[in-house]
Amino acid sequence: MKKETDEEVALRVQKGDTEAFGELVERYQDKLSRYARKFLSDTDDAKDIVQDIFIKTYKNIQSFDASRRFSPWIYRIAHNEFVNALSKRSRAPLFQFDMDTIFPHLTAAESADDRALDRSLRETLEKYLSALDVKYREPLVLYYFEDMDYKTIAEVLHIPVSTVGVRIARGKALLQKMAKPQDIYE
Amino acid sequence: MSEHSEHTVRERVEAAIRAGSVKMKPRWHFVLFSAFAFTGIALVFAGLLYITSLAVFFLRQSGAWFQPAFGSRGWLALLHSLPWLLILLVFVFIVLLEILARRYAFVYRRSLVTSLLALAVLAAAGGFFIAKTPFHREMYRHARQGDAPAPLGALYRVFHPAHPDLYRGTILRFIPGGFIIVDQEDGTSTIRVSPRTRLPYGADFSEGDFVVILGDRVATDTVQAFGVRMLEDEMRMK
Repeated sequence: MKKETDEEVALRVQKGDTEAFGELVERYQDKLSRYARKFLSDTDDAKDIVQDIFIKTYKNIQSFDASRRFSPWIYRIAHNEFVNALSKRSRAPLFQFDMDTIFPHLTAAESADDRALDRSLRETLEKYLSALDVKYREPLVLYYFEDMDYKTIAEVLHIPVSTVGVRIARGKALLQKMAKPQDIYE
Repeated sequence: MSEHSEHTVRERVEAAIRAGSVKMKPRWHFVLFSAFAFTGIALVFAGLLYITSLAVFFLRQSGAWFQPAFGSRGWLALLHSLPWLLILLVFVFIVLLEILARRYAFVYRRSLVTSLLALAVLAAAGGFFIAKTPFHREMYRHARQGDAPAPLGALYRVFHPAHPDLYRGTILRFIPGGFIIVDQEDGTSTIRVSPRTRLPYGADFSEGDFVVILGDRVATDTVQAFGVRMLEDEMRMK
């Protein structure tokens, strides 16, 4: 039997089958927990935040357009929750004035080869991720750990696709500066 | 451990739903929000078009729009006549519109500069188009007659630009060395034209033509013309 898509399950929830929401939680709790751990850099309150994400998702599920993809929509909710959590910690709003989104960028398109090659860098990424600025950390997490393409990341972060490319490239460059050469090339 | 905590999240969420402590917002809530957001954006956009077209209308109306044809002095006259407060308002409305529309994919997919430029081009195109229609002319006429709604009437009176070296009027008759114009207040001025006066190539003015003159007042009712341009009849206002 063909497995229901996320969008079909969400549609059932919208039509009143609230029990079906558990299926969506099941499908996304691992992904969102991993996203939370990587993005927030500690796990103290990650579980509570993930729970809040699902509560918000349930409350707002009638605003979801079932003709579009569910994944970027729930990740967008998660992004907002994480940004709020980080803002509360630092007591200052994040992304106040971001030069990356001001001017149009010409960046090389993502390629499957790049992603495959970069898999070898994952350990370095894991090791130094928390030292990276949030605006570079998040697209790297979504690209390398959540396996999203640039377009989906742009949809989650509400930024131009070219800015995603710029942030990933700059994030990688910063990681390489932080890491010892043997961390990357061994 | 991990599996246990994952199940706990699901169980806690499901328990909260079952207990009714978490309620789904109804669809109409989002429809209403979208309608409000759309109305807000539409109103701000309408305001932007109105202000842009008003700025263009005033520039055309005063004749300042055509002054760059007279060289550097004409450009200075244009700069002096620009309705800076309206231009500032145009910027404020563009930024406001950008903020309101930033949540939509067709805006956030583009860089800030691109979307701001697109809005500015849209505002300029719409503004020029509306300025060409009789809308502002009629409003201006009503404002001058004092029968326009109070805030709008004041808007047309307050922002009406008046460059000291620009004179507009209808050619009443030609005299040796120039012509006499009658302005919209029915006052007359003598315009002196010299070989140095800049006239449009092939210009052949005749009585009844509506013109704008850039020049210096040399006597109470006499202006030495630096340049003369014909204005479109639609800009004539009585």
